Amino acid sequence: MTISSVETQIASKSRLKIERRVNPKTSWTVFMYLLAVVIGFALTALLIMTSGADVFKAFAALFKGAFGSQKSVFATLAKSTPLILTGLATVVAFRAQVWSIGQEGQVYSGAMGAYFGCLIFAGLPVWMYLSLIILSGMIGGAILGGIAAILKDRFDVSEIISTVMMNYLIVFLLSYLIGGGPWTEVSSTVVYQQTGPVPEASQLPHLLGSSKLHLGFVFALVSALVCYVLLEKTPLGYEIRAMGFNPIALAYRGTNIGRTTVLVMVISGAVAGLAGVAEIFGTSHRLRADTLYNLGYTGIIIGMIGGLRPLGTVIAGIAFGGLASGALYMKLLAQVPAALVPAMQGIMLLTFLCAAVAARYKIVRIQSDG
Amino acid sequence: MGDLFQEAILVSILAGTVRIMTPILFAAIGELVTQRAGIWNMGVEGTMLMGAFIAYVVATATGSIWIAVLAAMLAGGVVGLLTAFMTATMRVDHFITGLGINLLISGLTLYWFRIYIKGRAQPTFEGFENVPIPVLSSIPYLGEILFTQRILTYVAFLSVPAIWFLLYRTRWGLELRCLGENPKALDIKGLSVVRRQYTAVLIGSIMTGLGGGFLMLGFSDRFLADITAGRGWLAIVAIIAGRWMPRGVLAAVAVFALLESVATHVQVLGVDIPHQIFLALPYVASIVLLMMLRSKSGEPRRLGIPYFR
Repeated sequence: MTISSVETQIASKSRLKIERRVNPKTSWTVFMYLLAVVIGFALTALLIMTSGADVFKAFAALFKGAFGSQKSVFATLAKSTPLILTGLATVVAFRAQVWSIGQEGQVYSGAMGAYFGCLIFAGLPVWMYLSLIILSGMIGGAILGGIAAILKDRFDVSEIISTVMMNYLIVFLLSYLIGGGPWTEVSSTVVYQQTGPVPEASQLPHLLGSSKLHLGFVFALVSALVCYVLLEKTPLGYEIRAMGFNPIALAYRGTNIGRTTVLVMVISGAVAGLAGVAEIFGTSHRLRADTLYNLGYTGIIIGMIGGLRPLGTVIAGIAFGGLASGALYMKLLAQVPAALVPAMQGIMLLTFLCAAVAARYKIVRIQSDG
Repeated sequence: MGDLFQEAILVSILAGTVRIMTPILFAAIGELVTQRAGIWNMGVEGTMLMGAFIAYVVATATGSIWIAVLAAMLAGGVVGLLTAFMTATMRVDHFITGLGINLLISGLTLYWFRIYIKGRAQPTFEGFENVPIPVLSSIPYLGEILFTQRILTYVAFLSVPAIWFLLYRTRWGLELRCLGENPKALDIKGLSVVRRQYTAVLIGSIMTGLGGGFLMLGFSDRFLADITAGRGWLAIVAIIAGRWMPRGVLAAVAVFALLESVATHVQVLGVDIPHQIFLALPYVASIVLLMMLRSKSGEPRRLGIPYFR
């Protein structure tokens, strides 16, 4: 393939990728996204009708369960903690147009790394113990991300495929470790596919007297700030954004694209790994697969809906945390299955994608004589 | 272990391979058509899952597995319409679209499944039986491996030469392949790009839905959440590893299916190795295959790039 054909490809690709260059008109964009939310809710209402439940009762229960009281707000923030983190992991990767969908697997490997840390560092002073657990969790996620980056850089294996496959592989590894392997809960006669509870010293402390909200939420906010500074204020952030816009120009400038890809994936993996740490050591207090399930995939939706910006991701993460936390209430009060929430998230993603295109429509027409 | 026993196991593994190939082959050969037309449909996994779920609902509700097969194809077609709308009409990035569709369907099927089984025991159905082909099925070994299968397995294997013929020996196929290489050429001739993109996506999605339907009706008697377990992704890998040619795709699908067949037999035989290692084999193989086959010579030049006039 000649250079010029690569350039046309990149040029025509960049037009529809999530670009942040000239925003058409803020008011128009905002209108489109509001429309996306409205259509998303309308479609969700249709979905609720298929279950035969009362739509308004269901929505009311959903929101009451999510934000109705101080207690439920704390529960929502606790639910949003891992989602914000996996959302941020998505932001870092997708801004560089590295299409990693490995957040799901990295959550698992992060949780496993942290659990490993909690076993080998037991007995150290609490603050050191906790820091090492968190660090080993981040390393766990980073390793998985790094492998995908190396496969892409050295062997030209699409990161989309390799991360999907590793998502499956890591679940098999976990299933072995906790379902008959060395980490299986010992006392039980039945194998429950989980480890025993983690020591109290390793658990993330709760905040503001809540029984749900834990220190992990602070990590999520700090991570969002770090991601913002990293992307907008550092040379690496410039390279990441430039990789999204025009990798060829970046290569001519002398940047090692392979190295940047590895860095992006390692950072993204570490942040996703932190989500696993927060969920295991903040909420479930033992390593098991079902509490981690779908956190990574939901994070992709959150990052996308958040416009691939850290602040947007925090907002979307809290909204989705609210859905996850309100779903149980809705199930009790309106008899709508809690599985409505992932379906609703998928609908929202598609309506937002369409809105993003519609918001850029004018620009597309101007640029598109090619 | 006697020789006779080992022989029987070998035959059983190979016959299992052919059966396991079926759903992945439907999806891979169908998506090959889509990809040759330049649309990189990353939503294969979700499309297949929808096919499997609808097949389950219809099979348990009507009791007819053939109506269920038709419903699965229809479900695949509906998902295909959505995919085509997003990629060909809205021109959203192909990868993002597929991802969105996978996530949506994973949620939708789980939600509808919970509604469907609410307040009762999960209904089951009678799946497909083997239909031995007369004469051929009595050939030693081969008869049992190749000619004692479900009807749709024969259909899947016949679809490979059929799609090959369509792609390489008809005007329609030429135009379709042109779409993946140089859509402007078609556009200048006054042939509709968008309509052909819709056709290509629909063919792929209907075949993928059929694959999902067979996965449901040929292997199991009840639905489970995310029952496709990555088979849609394996179909995509098979297309890349098979360098976008029907023969190559067939070979790559065979590799994955053989590994899965070995894994299921090992579980039954009770070998003293964690069974997860064997279950992981197809996924490991997919990464290794892609590492080994680095040449992308067969890749359509405009694959995954939305067409703007």
